[in-house]
Amino acid sequence: MKSKNYIGKIKLIEKINHDVYKLDIQSSLNDCKSGQFVSVLCPNKTLRRPFSICDFDKENKILTILIKLKGEGTKYLSSLKEGDEINFIAPLGNCFEFFKDKNALLVGAGIGIAPMLFLKKEMNERNINNYLISGFKADEEVIEGSDETIVGGSVLDNIEKIIKEKNIDVIYSCGPIIVLKMLSQIAKKLNIPCYVAMERVMACSIGVCRGCIIKLVRDNKIDNFSVCKDGPVFKGEEVLWD
Amino acid sequence: MGLEKLKTVLKNERTSKSLELKTPIIGASGTYGYNSEFEDFIDLNCFGAISTKGITIEKRLGNDGDRIFEVQNGLINRIGLENVGINAFIKEKLPVLRQKNIDFLLNIAGSTIDDYEKLAIIAQENDIKALEVNVSCPNVKQGCLEFGLNPNSLFELTRKIRRNYDGFLIVKLSPNTSDIKALATAVEQGGADCISAINTLRGLGIKIDYVGNKFLKKTVQGGLSGTCIKPVALYMVNQIRQAVKIPIIAMGGISKLDDLFEFILAGADAFQIGTANFIYPSICSNLAFELNDFMTKNNFKDFEHLKGAIINE
Repeated sequence: MKSKNYIGKIKLIEKINHDVYKLDIQSSLNDCKSGQFVSVLCPNKTLRRPFSICDFDKENKILTILIKLKGEGTKYLSSLKEGDEINFIAPLGNCFEFFKDKNALLVGAGIGIAPMLFLKKEMNERNINNYLISGFKADEEVIEGSDETIVGGSVLDNIEKIIKEKNIDVIYSCGPIIVLKMLSQIAKKLNIPCYVAMERVMACSIGVCRGCIIKLVRDNKIDNFSVCKDGPVFKGEEVLWD
Repeated sequence: MGLEKLKTVLKNERTSKSLELKTPIIGASGTYGYNSEFEDFIDLNCFGAISTKGITIEKRLGNDGDRIFEVQNGLINRIGLENVGINAFIKEKLPVLRQKNIDFLLNIAGSTIDDYEKLAIIAQENDIKALEVNVSCPNVKQGCLEFGLNPNSLFELTRKIRRNYDGFLIVKLSPNTSDIKALATAVEQGGADCISAINTLRGLGIKIDYVGNKFLKKTVQGGLSGTCIKPVALYMVNQIRQAVKIPIIAMGGISKLDDLFEFILAGADAFQIGTANFIYPSICSNLAFELNDFMTKNNFKDFEHLKGAIINE
């Protein structure tokens, strides 16, 4: 599906914890997939801001994103009101791959839960067995919607046990790079495929500026890949983490 | 399309070499990809040309680490000339440009005069109509910046490229100099048909956060672009206009119709849009339509007349 520049309307803006806002945006965008993201114009900043798609209601064409307050751009977006216009490019990037008969473990660390919630919904619609575990630093940071929520400790603390107990065949994750790296290493050790949704500062969000490059080892060769266009979803085993 | 009024001819009066553009609006190198990357967002027939990503002899992976740093009204980048290299460009990217009938300037960069000569020969062999020579990338440790800031070496470089290339030769100048007039003159005397200016300004971005009784510091040194550099670009274009007769493709912070008028007064004959493409991916065609609407509404017959009116009235 082609990416386009949309002007949407805020249907709902809701503060869901101490620094995260949920935005429902209605527009003419009629399809998108989990793993993909949108790039939102912040008129007070030079660059657009990328956000994972957290949900999409096809019938009403409502897109949901979660906005964690980080700086002036996100502060501006959190100040929008219902009915306000919002300018975004969507859908962007690749998406998660599904496997019909595999048990999936979804791991969301912090705000990285956003694409995992959408992935879980899409898996449920396809009757794919899945288990979403999420981790947050403190109670006031928790975002609801997981099968298991860990507060305080690391989301990875009991991960190997869960993988074994639930007969996990494939892992999906989004969160800080250190979590994605460690999880990829665990998955490699257990010989389970692991898909990670990466985040980088982006300028163009459509693959031309080469600003959000990561290095992958593919076909025994190290090469550059853009998080915005080639990703944001990559196979953890291919990512050159350091 | 109805944009006939915007047809622009850049002409070197001395040699009669010229470049015809459907509109005076060009997507700047490094912000427009290699060929049709923007086709989801614009009608490829509704703007003048794209300037390709800077192409070197060998493929380059560019710089490690942070490449983008946002500043107030601008952006610092240190991509480091990541590109596929000339062979892959000719084999994979050029056929798409030709098949989709996209007008383009081939932007080239090198680290030695020899590199530039080789690239010029390849451009000549492949019948590439226009070459934009990047002599001023601030993001690579060796090479182009050294040529770009010394009038003598710039003259020599331009002359050698000219000897190997018969098409429309554009040299892109760096603003990181105290004497842009000398550089412009060197390029004109070396045989260039046109100057494009300005490349990015040298900049340093610093971010300091105080977390847990500690200063967390981040610094990114690279090329500054965006609306914040427009006054510098206007000044430089105006200086170049005073120094040379060849046409000027102006860039630096252009994001709206008024900016085009301002650059015309400063001395521009055509424009490149860079950083603004990242924010408004349709801007190159939107500006063409806006310019066309303005000219229709106010009875300007063509772009030459508009330029004349702005400069002489």
